[in-house]
Amino acid sequence: MSAHDGPVIRTEELTKVFSPGTRREVVALDSVTMEVGRGEVFGLIGPNGAGKTTLIRLLVGLLRPTRGRAWVLGKDVVTEIEDIRPRVALLPQEAGIYERLTARENLVYYGGMYGIDEDELYRRADTLLEIVGLSDRADEQVKRFSGGMKRKVLVARALIIEPEVIFLDEPTTGVDTIGARIVRNLLRRLSSEDDLTIVLTTHDMVEVSELCHRVGILNEGRLVAIGRPSELEEKYRAADLEEVFMGLVTGEGVYGGEA
Amino acid sequence: MVKGRVMDKKVYWLIKKEVKSIVRSRWLMLGFIISPIFAWMFQGAFLSFVVGETTVEPSDVYMTLEDNGPLGQQLFRSIVNHSEDLRIRQIINITREEGQQLIAERRLTVWIVIPENFTYLLNTTHSCLVEFYVNTGNFRATSVAWLIRGFIYSQITRIIVVQEVQFSWETIAPERTYGHQLAIFLIMLTSVVAPAPYVSQSFAGERERHTLEALLVVPMSRLKILAAKLVAGLVITVIYTGFTVVGVLLYNLSIIIRDAGLPDEPIDYTAFYTVNLASLPLIVFCQFLVLLCAIGIGVVISCLARDQATAEAVNNFALLIPTMVIGILGFAGSISAFGGLFGTFVMLVPFTHAILILNGVLSGAATPISLMGNMLYLLGFTVATLLIGAKLFEREAIIS
Repeated sequence: MSAHDGPVIRTEELTKVFSPGTRREVVALDSVTMEVGRGEVFGLIGPNGAGKTTLIRLLVGLLRPTRGRAWVLGKDVVTEIEDIRPRVALLPQEAGIYERLTARENLVYYGGMYGIDEDELYRRADTLLEIVGLSDRADEQVKRFSGGMKRKVLVARALIIEPEVIFLDEPTTGVDTIGARIVRNLLRRLSSEDDLTIVLTTHDMVEVSELCHRVGILNEGRLVAIGRPSELEEKYRAADLEEVFMGLVTGEGVYGGEA
Repeated sequence: MVKGRVMDKKVYWLIKKEVKSIVRSRWLMLGFIISPIFAWMFQGAFLSFVVGETTVEPSDVYMTLEDNGPLGQQLFRSIVNHSEDLRIRQIINITREEGQQLIAERRLTVWIVIPENFTYLLNTTHSCLVEFYVNTGNFRATSVAWLIRGFIYSQITRIIVVQEVQFSWETIAPERTYGHQLAIFLIMLTSVVAPAPYVSQSFAGERERHTLEALLVVPMSRLKILAAKLVAGLVITVIYTGFTVVGVLLYNLSIIIRDAGLPDEPIDYTAFYTVNLASLPLIVFCQFLVLLCAIGIGVVISCLARDQATAEAVNNFALLIPTMVIGILGFAGSISAFGGLFGTFVMLVPFTHAILILNGVLSGAATPISLMGNMLYLLGFTVATLLIGAKLFEREAIIS
């Protein structure tokens, strides 16, 4: 695993067009240029269909860019994706879980697919399940879990590979207040102590304010603003981030400045 | 080398995950266990019933008397006089040409030829030959033919004790010889449908449940992910084929029990209708190929279908209809006999070849070598579908 000094994530004019040249053509992401540094928690916010999920899918190699380039850990997401994958984790939006497996099995089997030693896998699984408060139900089939508990298992699953970068698409959706706090505290700790770089999408502005060092606001595939929450609030003379977001996305109030 | 081992270990975990998910799906497992046993047990019950019922019913018998000598004439008259005892409904005199025509048209039940040199050979060489042409797919005809065969033997040895009577016994439509069209039909239906729930759950289902996305970002090529899922699919085919063996043994047992209850029949039903256990490996191999082919087709459909329900519905449609058509055609005669465009279509359907293999194996009319072409076609078709499936699995659209 080679250390990388530059930005952990970098995109240049990253563009994704679905069904190009057809009547169904959709520009999902339009010339996005941005950087995310090591240990940073970067929030991607935007309305539904803004391109958040597409951006994450491009960064983990599930989609190929139509135009532009992107690097994760200094590696090109198209040509060097095999070098990226062992070092990054993804918690997709609406991520499903293997319902017939136990919580522990969900973690262990997923980690096993990353080639981690079996003993180490079980050790990590037990630690993570304890952190998310599910150690007493580790051997229960997940189908009996509530939505929030499943989400906690999924967060733990994404962390079992001890990634350098983690992409979380709405990680606390469906999780109760206490569960969401546990997840946030865990992410904050991993970011500060383990230098984990986190990219998360969310609709929860409190989550963004609590967790994110910087945010990027996407609207209709374009990155319309990027910066620290306080910077954006100051720049757009808004009381809070939600006001910035609403102004940029819905046009409530007319802001000066550029992304 | 180390990297290679690590890669193998990754695939192992994926296979383990797949298999555990299947094994914990009780209804899926129950289907794999019940389907093959049901197919064979049903056939056993059906044959036992039919054998018991139809062996006391009469059948039409075609006869050609070419011999002008006294022994041939005497034998013919004896058969006519004992028609009722021999369960002959009517004797229809035909010429050899007419008999050949009936064979060509597959309308024959039993045709017995007493050749022109019958008396002469019996008197000079102490040996004679009676030709039997029997549609052994017809239970009544077969039963009557066996009765007549025994009767002729007793008549000839009664007339001239030291003489030897020989029989040439030719089966009409050898692919129907075993009379197991129903078994083959049921085996095919259950085999093509059995893997569908697993395949659609494992591909379209993963997408629908949003588990596929996380799976596709693990450091494994998509080809390896697909291969691991197929290996898991092979595990279920092994379970299925394992219970096929159980089904065949239960089937044989049902025939043996039924035969024990029959009166003194000239036919050894146990020997005639039970599956020769030596052919079991070929039956199991054929079923294995069918399941593999069904999985290949299922993978292609699942990679294209939007959700699990659609995948299962299309899968059933695409697999069941051709199988039913081909299976039903099997009741009417040889499925390899159709010509023209329809014949080409029939031969293009992979399961046609499976039916031909099973027919050949069950009738005993085929050898592994003679079935090689059918096996290769089935295998080739499976490989082709898996390659198409692999291509589809590589697409971006697989996650959306």
